[in-house]
Amino acid sequence: MLTVTLALRDLFRDRLFLLCNIAVLAGVLVPLLILLGVKNGVYEALIGQLLSNPATLQIDTQGNAELTEAEIAPLRDWPDIAFLTPRTRSQFDYVNLYAPSEGGAALREALLLPTGPGDPNLPPGMVLAEDEIALSPLLARQMHLTEGDVIELVTQAETRPKQLRLPVTVRHILPETVATGRSVMADFAVLDRVEAFYDNYALPEYGVTEGRPLAERQPRFEGLRVYARSLEGLGPVQERLEAELGIGTSARTREVAAVLGLGRNLDLALGLTSALATTGLAAALLFGFWSDAMRKRGVLAALGMLGIPPRSLALFPVVQAVITAVLGLALSFALYAGAAAMAARMFAQGLPGEAPVTRLDWPQGTAICAAVLAIVLVAALASAWSALRVDPARTLREGH
Amino acid sequence: MPNQRLRIGQLTTALADGDRRFRLAVEGLELAPGAVLAVTGASGSGKTLFLELLGLLRAPEAGGDYALLDAAGREVTNLGALWARGARSSALAATRGGVFGFVPQSGALIPFLSVVQNVALTQRVTGREDAGRVHLLLDRLGLTAVKGLRPDALSIGQRQRVSIARALAHRPAFVIADEPTAALDQDAAETVMALLIETATIEGVGVILSSHDVDRLDRLALPRLHFVSQMVGPGEIFSTAEMQAC
Repeated sequence: MLTVTLALRDLFRDRLFLLCNIAVLAGVLVPLLILLGVKNGVYEALIGQLLSNPATLQIDTQGNAELTEAEIAPLRDWPDIAFLTPRTRSQFDYVNLYAPSEGGAALREALLLPTGPGDPNLPPGMVLAEDEIALSPLLARQMHLTEGDVIELVTQAETRPKQLRLPVTVRHILPETVATGRSVMADFAVLDRVEAFYDNYALPEYGVTEGRPLAERQPRFEGLRVYARSLEGLGPVQERLEAELGIGTSARTREVAAVLGLGRNLDLALGLTSALATTGLAAALLFGFWSDAMRKRGVLAALGMLGIPPRSLALFPVVQAVITAVLGLALSFALYAGAAAMAARMFAQGLPGEAPVTRLDWPQGTAICAAVLAIVLVAALASAWSALRVDPARTLREGH
Repeated sequence: MPNQRLRIGQLTTALADGDRRFRLAVEGLELAPGAVLAVTGASGSGKTLFLELLGLLRAPEAGGDYALLDAAGREVTNLGALWARGARSSALAATRGGVFGFVPQSGALIPFLSVVQNVALTQRVTGREDAGRVHLLLDRLGLTAVKGLRPDALSIGQRQRVSIARALAHRPAFVIADEPTAALDQDAAETVMALLIETATIEGVGVILSSHDVDRLDRLALPRLHFVSQMVGPGEIFSTAEMQAC
């Protein structure tokens, strides 16, 4: 404890040297922190922008396939697939929405999209029952519909004398980021029912009694709508789907790969810069602490002469190094915070959404502190070794 | 700690510096509590080396006798054997700090501590804290007015007096002073020497001091251990000591 007290007294008396070392630390750390913060902020903003739209992770099959449930079922177990739904034939994609109201009735045509449990377009945990739908915001506005309203999905086939009318409840209005234009999402069973109607099957529970019995129907799916679990998984899932099903697909793979590649390149550039800066910092601190220990040999020799054991004397430069590091880190993070606030004022409008220009996580901050302390401790070992080897008799004889 | 005796018998040490080798031997010596011994000799005769040997700052060669005795003459600590644990052993450092007080030529004050903190330092190192004694010594050595100053604000004479106070603060058995007046003018040297001997005598502390000032030693009638060195081979110097009555 006495050594620690003495080391602190000496450190704060020798303010100029302390300030030099703190300046060295801050001079290296602040630019690195800002680089890391900006990289995090800009990159996370781009990633966030991509992820805010579920369509980024969407893979659609192209062309007219004839997939069976037996072919689709194994895909549901792929770990990189977050959600998957079959698609019916595209010529039956449009339905009319009929909403009776006091002033008359509203009727609009809309694109009918399949959904199911786990669909990223729906709020987490929401599952639409067969008599529930989710509407695009445009459609909801145009038809003055809100959640809880009961309407009808209406479709008409040229070959059939009667309309198919499916009563449904509006369960959810989708956000703009998920659905633009006029679209309605319903459980896949609803789309399957519409396709069966067009294929001339009887649907007696909806009043369509003419046609072939539904039990004879062997469903075939024209394609799939798949959502990858992550941006990194999008490309591999797309490749695997094409390879295993033998069909073409479309996805925003190139755009996602470009952003991910940018992240990797930024990481690489930051890593190289950090490695060079760290090497320079370690060398500067090593020689700085060592020369300081040499400069203080007289004091260390006097303390040794008075009875402080060499092992305690070795603590002297280590304590000073740790305190220097702590002060250097505190100053560096304070300057970083100032720079981040300034950057937020100057550049925030250039980023999508509310994303901050710079961002540093607690784990990152903790890792940086631990790394700097480790570098400082390693650098201080040389001066500790020097302090341990001070020969009081010889040093005092030399007049230090 | 005072009232202990030092016993030396056939104690030798050596110092090598490049091709030069300096060897020093002291046949026999016993220092009683409160006694003052002057170490004399020409420059390079081994006075400082002897004081380092005595103060556990320099390792003796094997075979000699160096021990701390109690008032009855019983061996309390074999000081020579402490070196067997290595020069960096805590026991060696603790014994050095506890048994001896040092007044080096340069003063060797700690620059970042005030006068009062410097004086109290030996007490803190040895765990014998006694603020009253620190202030008593400061008062006795005329340092009360400057007790809050740092060493760089003191004259050389004041620094030596602080060094003396520090050497006595923890009640060591012996004070080792290496030419404590070498850097002082006549008046200051007289004052410092008188204070050292007077304070040590009052405290019952043994004092071993080296000096070139034979006239002053004569006036103070101090017994002397006189060192004489001679070349005994190429680059090899051998120094021996003999007691001289005052």
